Amino acid sequence: MADIFGIGLSGLAAAQQALTTTGHNISNVNTDGYSRQTVELSARPPQGSGGYFIGSGVDVVNIKRVYDEFLVGQVRTNTSSFSSADTLQQFSGIMDNLLGNPNTGLSAGIEKFFSAVHDVANNPSSLAVRQTLLSQSGSMVSQFHNINDSINQQNAQVNTAIKSSVSEINALATTIADLNGKIANTGHTGTSGAPNDLLDQRDAALDKLAKLTSVSIVKEDSGAVSVFVGNGQSLVVGIQTQALSAIPNRYDPTRYEVGYSSGGGNVEVSRQLSGGSLGGLLNFRNQVLDPAKNALGRVAIAMASGSNTQHRLGMDLNGALGGDLFTVAAPEVLPSSTNAGAGSVTGTLINANDLTTSDYNLVYNGANNYSLTRLSDGQTTAINTGGNSPYTTTEVDGISLTIASGATAGDKFLIRPTRLGADDLSTVITDPAKIAAAVPVAVAASLSNIGSASAGAVSVNKPDDRVMIQFTGTNAFDVIDQTTGATLAQNLTYTSGSNISFNGWTVQVADGSGTPAAGDKFYVDHIVTSADAANSGGADIGQAALNPPDPNLTDTVTITFTSATTFNVAGATTGTPTNAVSYTSGGVISYNGWNFRISGTPATGDTFTIGPNTNGVGDNGNMQQIAALQTQLTLDGGKATFQDAYGQIVSDVGTKAREAGTSRDALNALLKQSTDARSAVSGVNLDEEAANMLKFQQAYQAAAKVIGISETLFQSILSALNG
Amino acid sequence: MRISTNQFFQRGTDSILDQQALLNKTQLQLGSSKRVMTPSDDPTGSARILDLQHGIDSANTHQRNIGAAEASLNSEENALSTITDTMQRVRELAVQANSGIMDHIDLQAIAQEMQQHLDGLLGLANSTGTNGEYIFAGYGTNTKPFSQTNGGFSYAGDQGQRSIQIGTNRQVAIGDSGYAVFQAIPNGNGTFVTSYNGANTGTGVIDAGQVTNQAAWVQDTYTLSFLTPTTYEVRDSANALVTSGAYQSGAAIAFNGIQVSVSGAPAGGDQFTIAPSTNQDVFTSVQNLINTLNTSATDPVSRANFISNLNRSIVDIDRAMDNFTSVSTGVGARLNSIDNQKSANADFILASQTALSSVQDLDYAEAASRLNQQLLALQAAQQSFAKLQNLSLFNYIQ
Repeated sequence: MADIFGIGLSGLAAAQQALTTTGHNISNVNTDGYSRQTVELSARPPQGSGGYFIGSGVDVVNIKRVYDEFLVGQVRTNTSSFSSADTLQQFSGIMDNLLGNPNTGLSAGIEKFFSAVHDVANNPSSLAVRQTLLSQSGSMVSQFHNINDSINQQNAQVNTAIKSSVSEINALATTIADLNGKIANTGHTGTSGAPNDLLDQRDAALDKLAKLTSVSIVKEDSGAVSVFVGNGQSLVVGIQTQALSAIPNRYDPTRYEVGYSSGGGNVEVSRQLSGGSLGGLLNFRNQVLDPAKNALGRVAIAMASGSNTQHRLGMDLNGALGGDLFTVAAPEVLPSSTNAGAGSVTGTLINANDLTTSDYNLVYNGANNYSLTRLSDGQTTAINTGGNSPYTTTEVDGISLTIASGATAGDKFLIRPTRLGADDLSTVITDPAKIAAAVPVAVAASLSNIGSASAGAVSVNKPDDRVMIQFTGTNAFDVIDQTTGATLAQNLTYTSGSNISFNGWTVQVADGSGTPAAGDKFYVDHIVTSADAANSGGADIGQAALNPPDPNLTDTVTITFTSATTFNVAGATTGTPTNAVSYTSGGVISYNGWNFRISGTPATGDTFTIGPNTNGVGDNGNMQQIAALQTQLTLDGGKATFQDAYGQIVSDVGTKAREAGTSRDALNALLKQSTDARSAVSGVNLDEEAANMLKFQQAYQAAAKVIGISETLFQSILSALNG
Repeated sequence: MRISTNQFFQRGTDSILDQQALLNKTQLQLGSSKRVMTPSDDPTGSARILDLQHGIDSANTHQRNIGAAEASLNSEENALSTITDTMQRVRELAVQANSGIMDHIDLQAIAQEMQQHLDGLLGLANSTGTNGEYIFAGYGTNTKPFSQTNGGFSYAGDQGQRSIQIGTNRQVAIGDSGYAVFQAIPNGNGTFVTSYNGANTGTGVIDAGQVTNQAAWVQDTYTLSFLTPTTYEVRDSANALVTSGAYQSGAAIAFNGIQVSVSGAPAGGDQFTIAPSTNQDVFTSVQNLINTLNTSATDPVSRANFISNLNRSIVDIDRAMDNFTSVSTGVGARLNSIDNQKSANADFILASQTALSSVQDLDYAEAASRLNQQLLALQAAQQSFAKLQNLSLFNYIQ
C-alpha cells in the first residue's frame, strides 16, 4: 500500500521548496542579472501493485533558471554597440558645445582680428589703433589656444578613461575566471542541477564586460566560458586570464593605447578593439578629436603663414620691412619607438595653402627607398634619396621632408603637419610701430612732366603669384607674372642651371634629358614649380627657394619716356628690357619685385621715379592686402577661406555629434527592446510571485492535510485494534 | 506579454526621464530664443549661421570703414570749398586790378589783401583731418606738407593716395595728395603758356591763346617775333619758320592747331614766347600775381608788360580753380558712391540678418505649443506611473 504519509510529506517538501524558491525570487527582484527560478516537479515512480500502479508522491527534480541563451547574447551585443555610441555621443557633445558656443567659438576672434586690420588701414599712422590690432591678434591667438587646450584636455580624459577601462576589464576578467572555477567545481555539466546563481553572476559580469568592449564568448564542456576581445585576443580561458594594459603610443607617448602582451612584448591592439565604451573612446579620438585638432591647426598655420608672408612685404612706421606677425608651427615628425635604425627625419612647411588635415606615415623600405602614405586616403608617394644625406624631398601637400640616413628597413615615422598648429601659434610683434601697414615703395611723377600720364599705386609682387617661364627659343626665355599680368623679363639668355630670381624666389632650369625647346613653359606657382605637360624639350625645373621680397625692391628706379610709346628704365636690377620698352596705357610695369600701372599719354622726357616710400606713415597699402586675406579662397585647393575652414570643423564635429546622437538613440531603442525581451522571460514579476506564493501555500496546507488525514487513518486503525 | 516588475518600474521612469529631456531642450530653446543651440542640432545650419554671421560682420566692418572714409572726404571737401571761395576772391581782385582804373596805391592794397589770401591758402593746404593727419600730404600724413621757402614753395609730402575697403570688392580713395591738388596744375591754358618779353619796346599785349586742334599741336617752344610793327613770324625752337603774316591788332595768329592773339601796338623786334604748359603750384601763381601788382606800371610799355603778366596770372588762377573744381567733383562723386555703397551694405546686412534669423531663431509659437504638449505628456507619464505602481497583488494578501 502506498504510503500516504510519505506522499503527504513529499508534497509538503515540494511545496516548501517551491515557496523557498518564490521567496528567493521575491528577494532578488532587484538583483542585476538575476533570472527567476522555478521548481520542476515530477511524480515519483509509481509502485506496481498487481495489475495497476499506484502513485507515490512528488519529487523536486530541478530548480532551473528561466533563461534564453539567444536573448542574453542579443542583450550583450546591443549593450556593446549602445555603450560605444553613448560614449562617442557624450564626448562629441562636449566638443560640439565648445565649438558652437559663440563665446569660445573662433569665428568671432578671427573676425575681430581682421576688423582691427581694417581699422589700421583706415588710420595707419595712429599708434592707438595699431595697439588695438596687437591686442586683437593676441586675443585671437588665445581663442585658438582655448579651443586647442580643450581638445588637449579631452585627449587627457581619453587617456584616463582608457586606463580605467583597461583595469576594469582586467578586474572583470578575474571575476569571470573565478566564477568559471567555482562553476566547474560544482561538477555540473548537464542541464539539470545547474548552479543558477553562479551562472547569473557570471552572466552579469559578462554583461559588464560587454559594456566596456565587444566580447565573443565560447562555452567549454566544463561549464566554463572563454572570453575573447578584439579580433581573437583571449582574455579569459577557463580559470586563466590574460590582462590588457594601457601603454603609451609608440610614436606619441602622450596618447595611450590598449596593449596586449603576447610572445614577450606588449603589442598595440587599440585598432582591433571595437564596441563598448572603450571602442567609443577610441572612435572619438580617431574620428572627432584628431581631425578637429588637425583642422584647427591647419587654420592657425594658414592664417599665420598667410599674414606673415604679406606682412613681410610691407613697411613699418620706422621705415623698415615688416617681420613676422605670428609664429608658425613646423610639421611634427615622430619616429616610432620600435625603430631599429638611427635615421632622422625633419619636416618643413613649404606652402600652408596646400596643407591637408591628414597625418602621414613614412616607412623605410631599404635601398634608399621610402614610402610616404597619406593616412586619410592611403595615397602613397615613393621617395628615393639616391643615397644623399640629408636629402630634402619636393613638396608633398604643403610640406617637405629632410631625411638623414641611418634608418633600418622597416623603420617608421609618423608625420603630423598641422597637429601643433594651434599649440605653437603666438604673436611676435609687441611694438605697434612694427606693424607694416605701408608698401615699401612709392612712385612719384616728376613735377616737370608735361604729358597727361599718371601712375597708380605701387604693389609688391607676391612670392605666390603664378609665374610662367616661357622659352622663346632654345636659348632665350621670357618671364611673365600671370597673376598681375606683368612681363617680369624678356629675352633672357638661358644658361643651364643658373639662378632665375623674381618676386623673392629663386629657381633653376637645367638641361635634363635634353635642352629646352622653343615654346617650352615652366611654372612657379605658390612656390611649387612645374613643367608644362606639352613641353617638347628635355630641360627640367628645380625646386624654388624662397626669400621674399626682391633684394632690390627699394632701389630707386627711374622711368623716362623717350616718346609717347616707349620708355627707358634706369636703376633696375631685376627685369628686362630696360631700353626702349614699349608703353601701353594702363599696362603693368614691373621691375625689382614691384609693379604698378601708368595710364594716359606721356610726353617725351616725362619721368616717373619709383623709390623707397620715405615717411609713408599714411600708406595703408599693405594692410589692405592683409585685410584681403580674410576673403581669399586659399585653402582646400583654392576653395575655402580661413573662416570657411573653421566653419567646416564646426559642421564636421556637429555632424559627428549628431550622427552619434542618432545612432545612440537607435541603439538605445534596440537595447531596450532586447532587455525587455530578456526581462519578459527571465525577470521576476511580484504579482506572479504573489500568486505562486498563494498557490504553493495552499499546496503546502493541502499536503499537511494529507499528513493529517494519514494520521487520522492511522489512529482509526489503532483505535480499531484497541477497540 | 509577460512584464517583470523591474521592467515595469524601468519603463515608468524611462518615459518620465525622456519627457523631461525633451522639455528641458524646449525650455533652453525658449530661454535663449535660438533654434540651433549646438552645431549638432543642425550641422549644415550652423555652418550657414557662421557664414551669414561672417557676412554681417564684414559688412559692418565696411560700414565702419565708410564712416572713416566719409570723415576724411568731408574734411577734404570742407577744405576745398574754403579754398575755392578764397580763389574766387583772389580772381575777383585780379580782375579788379586789370580794370585799368586802379592806381598804384589801390594795386598795393589789393596785393596786401591777396597776401592774406595766400597765407590762408597755405594754411588750408596744411589742414588736418579729424584724426590729426595732414589731409594733403599723400602718405606722409604726419609731416606738414607745404611751406614757403626762399625760392618759392616746397612740398614735403608725396603722391600717395590712400584707399579704404568699403565693400567686398569696392575700394575708394579717401583723399588727394597735395601734389595732385596744389602742385600738378599746368600753367597757361593747360596746353601752352604765352609770355611777354621784358625787353619789348612796343605796347603789344598777348592773350593766353586757345587750342583749336589738339591733334595738330606740336609740343615745342615757339617764338612770335614782330619783324615790323605790322608783320610777324613764328619760329620753333630749331629756328624753323612755322608761320608768318601781317599783323592786325586782336586778330588770331594760328599755327599747329593753336591760336593766340596780340593786341596793341607792338614795335619791330618785339617778341612773345609760346611754350608748352608746365606744372605750377597755386601758391606760386598767386605769388606771381602779387609780385605783378607790386610793380608799378607808369608808362605804356611797362603797362603792356603789366597787363600781359596779369593776364597770364589770371589764366593760371583759372587753371588752379579748374583743378580745385575737378578735385571737388571727384570728392563729391566718391562721397556719392560711398553713399550708394552704404545703403547697399545696409540692405545686405538686413537681408543677411533676416536669413540668419530664419536659420537660427526659434519659432516662438511653435515652441510654446510644443512646450505645452510636452508638459502634458510629462504629467501623463507621471500620473499613470503613480497610479499603476500602486497596484500589487500583495496589497490583497492578508
